Amino acid sequence: MWNAVAAHSPERPDRFDSLNRPVAAGEYRVVSRQLAHLSDEALVLLAARSEESALAELYDRYGRAAYGLALRVLRDQALAEDAVQDAFLGVWRTASKFVPERGRASTWILTLVHRRAVDVVRREQRRRSESLDHATEPSVEGVEEDAWLRLQRERVQSALRRLPDAQRETLELAYYGGFSQSELAERLGQPLGTIKSRMFSGLSRMRELLEEPGTEKSWTSTT
Amino acid sequence: MDLHDLTSAYALDALDADETEAYERHLAQCEQCREQLAELNETTGALAFGAASPAPPPGLRSAILEAAAAERTNVVPLLRRRRLARGLAVAAAVAACVVVGLAVWAFRPGPRHVVAVVKIGPTRRATLTVTGLPDAPHGKIYEAWVIPARTGKPRPAGLFAGPGESVRLRGAVPRHAVVAVTLERAPGVPAPTSAPIITANT
Repeated sequence: MWNAVAAHSPERPDRFDSLNRPVAAGEYRVVSRQLAHLSDEALVLLAARSEESALAELYDRYGRAAYGLALRVLRDQALAEDAVQDAFLGVWRTASKFVPERGRASTWILTLVHRRAVDVVRREQRRRSESLDHATEPSVEGVEEDAWLRLQRERVQSALRRLPDAQRETLELAYYGGFSQSELAERLGQPLGTIKSRMFSGLSRMRELLEEPGTEKSWTSTT
Repeated sequence: MDLHDLTSAYALDALDADETEAYERHLAQCEQCREQLAELNETTGALAFGAASPAPPPGLRSAILEAAAAERTNVVPLLRRRRLARGLAVAAAVAACVVVGLAVWAFRPGPRHVVAVVKIGPTRRATLTVTGLPDAPHGKIYEAWVIPARTGKPRPAGLFAGPGESVRLRGAVPRHAVVAVTLERAPGVPAPTSAPIITANT
């Protein structure tokens, strides 16, 4: 028979069948509700076609990371829960607009969660009067963590620790604190241009640190 | 305000509402910024994993799924019909089947992630939707094939010009057949002349 596999790029197979044998891309088959081995991107595509089980699978993969992120930004369980729900409904509503060439599905989902959390935190007036200290890493003692997520967190935290202090502070306050660049310029007493360049340099350096050999490149959850 | 240098702040969601609006207008017209943003988003996406992640409240999952189901059925009548059809299929104990093929296509300028979804109805009639492909070049067309396991011989099953189009496949898709897509000379050929871009095993 006409050999179907020849057209695929010689990438290392990254998926496995039920007997844990590698499965080449394109040879993959599933039936509804057996979605555990599909890529995130395929799940988003199925969600765009109204497959509720695909949305459920995406939640099972990223709901926990999403909730942790929302909780870090919002520091309130009820608000974090609402933000995660809004974000996943955003995934459901706009799945058909997702462009796989523009980035990973997990990044897209967590971007929606972050954006939603930041919108809410900026609306919460009481946050405005709080000091900047509140954006620092809260204690994780006593939190029962998923092993894979703990590994990812440690990796990101260790990269953050290796940034110059000013860059780390700016990234943490902006991303986890939800402060806008203008707010940061005012509160840190720095020109806006300085804040912008710290964000740019901080993100570029983070990228290098995360890509260093010895660190896992893939962010795809396999658990 | 130089809009190019707002990309990092935008990736961190650190622009205020006015700046965000201005930047998004700019983004629609600036390929360079879109590329840079895609890169920066991978890094901010990593930052998302930097937060501690306690288990979410147990009711959150079902709340999301119920709200999602309610939205689709209330807002989009077409999908209600689809759900009804699915219910009938289950009632007839003939489960409709969704098959997904995945491929990475070495396409210039960069590899593309191609996803093919084949939805097979209870009567083995099927639709094919492929995403991730570029529009077919001038004078070419994408051709879908059904390859029955018994004969192994590709049968022409439909044509499409670009990504996202749903193609109703000609003829029934027998059990264990392979659905494949090739790029062919327009207006299509009776037998494939090139290796498939993507296949899905049913």
